[in-house]
Amino acid sequence: MKTPSLLFFFLLGLTGFCFVKKTGDIHPSKKLTIHFHHQVGNKDLVLGEPVVNILGDTINIERFRYYVSNFSVKDNRGVIVKLPVEYFLIDEENLQSKSISFTVPDISIDEISFLLGVDSTRNVSGIQTGALDPLHGMFWTWNSGYIMAKLEGSSEKVQSAGNRFTYHVGGFRTGMNTTRMIQLKTPAGMKSAEIHIKADVNRWFKGNSEINITETPVCHSPGALAMKLADNYSSMFSIYMIQ
Amino acid sequence: MRVAKTIWILLVIVITGVGWITVDNRYFKPKPVKFLVPKGWPQPAYDFSKNPLTEEGFALGRKLFYDGQLSKDGNFSCGACHQQFGAFNSYDHNLSHGFNNTLTTRNAPGLFNLAWQKEFMWDGGINHLDLQPLAPITAENEMAESIENVLKKLKADKEYRKLFKAAFGDETINTQRLGKAMSQFLLQMVSSNSKYDKVMRGEASFILPEQLGYEIFKKKCVSCHSEPMFTDYSFRNTGIPADKYLKDMGRMKITNNPGDSLKFKVPSLRNVAMTFPYGHDGRFFSLMSVFEHYRKNMVVMPNTDSLLTKKMALSNFEIGQLTAFLYTLTDSTFLKDPRFAPSGFENNGKAPVDIHP
Repeated sequence: MKTPSLLFFFLLGLTGFCFVKKTGDIHPSKKLTIHFHHQVGNKDLVLGEPVVNILGDTINIERFRYYVSNFSVKDNRGVIVKLPVEYFLIDEENLQSKSISFTVPDISIDEISFLLGVDSTRNVSGIQTGALDPLHGMFWTWNSGYIMAKLEGSSEKVQSAGNRFTYHVGGFRTGMNTTRMIQLKTPAGMKSAEIHIKADVNRWFKGNSEINITETPVCHSPGALAMKLADNYSSMFSIYMIQ
Repeated sequence: MRVAKTIWILLVIVITGVGWITVDNRYFKPKPVKFLVPKGWPQPAYDFSKNPLTEEGFALGRKLFYDGQLSKDGNFSCGACHQQFGAFNSYDHNLSHGFNNTLTTRNAPGLFNLAWQKEFMWDGGINHLDLQPLAPITAENEMAESIENVLKKLKADKEYRKLFKAAFGDETINTQRLGKAMSQFLLQMVSSNSKYDKVMRGEASFILPEQLGYEIFKKKCVSCHSEPMFTDYSFRNTGIPADKYLKDMGRMKITNNPGDSLKFKVPSLRNVAMTFPYGHDGRFFSLMSVFEHYRKNMVVMPNTDSLLTKKMALSNFEIGQLTAFLYTLTDSTFLKDPRFAPSGFENNGKAPVDIHP
């Protein structure tokens, strides 16, 4: 019996060896976790609960989603490290989606930058998988392209079916490109492995321009309004607390 | 003891073998299909390297194309509005029927030679063939289903799990694979065997009216309906005023450019005798009414195509010859090709209605 069991373990080992994946990176690295917190002004966003926005309108927010991608970090000497291209759908409805992790080089991070939206390449390359799967409701099928960010809700002030306002912001073509590059400076000499980013929904309504839910309750296609909304909300992020 | 030893060794070999097969999937070898570009045609626009054609992928795509499950109530498959005997248009329908007694807002075009097309729909809003099926599946007045539900139904179906595995190597069913499988079927629908093609290949010759029609065609039509695809895939305003109920502004909806108002994609004229009614909203029920439009009824607008600002002079004689030529674009092999028929109806194709010998 001794020989067969030896043979067994030998072959088992051989089989296992075939399945081992290569692990390459030997540079010192750390895990960086970014948490997104959604607020309206200084109040935490709670879906379905009335809140007064920056323009004084009482609104119920029912959906708040956006894509982030193409992350990079900059150290205090100005060296920029691009992180592997990955796409994340941050969704207020899904707690897990609001924390994302990367493996980054073990440097002190001075600045973090990312693309708010989905770059044009992914908009013209057929059907994608994972976070970019069109089944997440963030893709226009009649006019191919991603909805970069989505804010939906209701307010008694809105004169539409269900008093609803729906902002679906997208468009990737020249002149209608709604992706926005976001750059956030971290407090000096940040060593922490966790970054907390606040997104203030108020900026959708008041940034570069004012967008009033009564006058403008609907955005459902690429174009001037989508560009205005994207300009507005491109300033919604800030780093507000570091552990 | 010898028996026990043998059993042990056999067991180890089997476990190792099974391990390799299931983990490495090295026995996944779908049968490749070569995509043939007809002689003298341009290279296709579709990137086949991202979706290599296989027999298994085609078989899956064909089943999906004819499966009513892709719609909300099970009644509307892709094939319900894209019928083979009409070169995959909605035969004899200006608009197509959708879920719950609805109508579409545009005419369902014939489907063929899609590998050469870069933008889909009358307004070119869809930029990739793989994405195209998602529009009719989710449109409220077409198949009215959600992608999520379609995937749920397919995943619950043992037969589909088997077909997806055969086509892609494992049982994963997702939106991307759905689109790729449909494309496998659609890409292979090449129509290149009409009488016109045979004449070009030197296998047949035009009779006199066809030849005269071809000469007129080359003078008056070919700058937009260019050979060999019989479209240049551009968007043009041909003086068709908007329907007051549909209010369809065409390409402008995609580009937001007022200069693109009422521009629609130049349709291919291949199989044109079978794809009536014509026009983006199917308002022309015959070739004759299209000719009447170009020579008489057009409404010339500021952005009407520069080739048509004075409409198009066409004599009755010319219309007769042109019609004879257009009939040579009917590809009866394609209309009857059993590979594109629904499973079980392979030999059900009616005799072709084309008139050439």
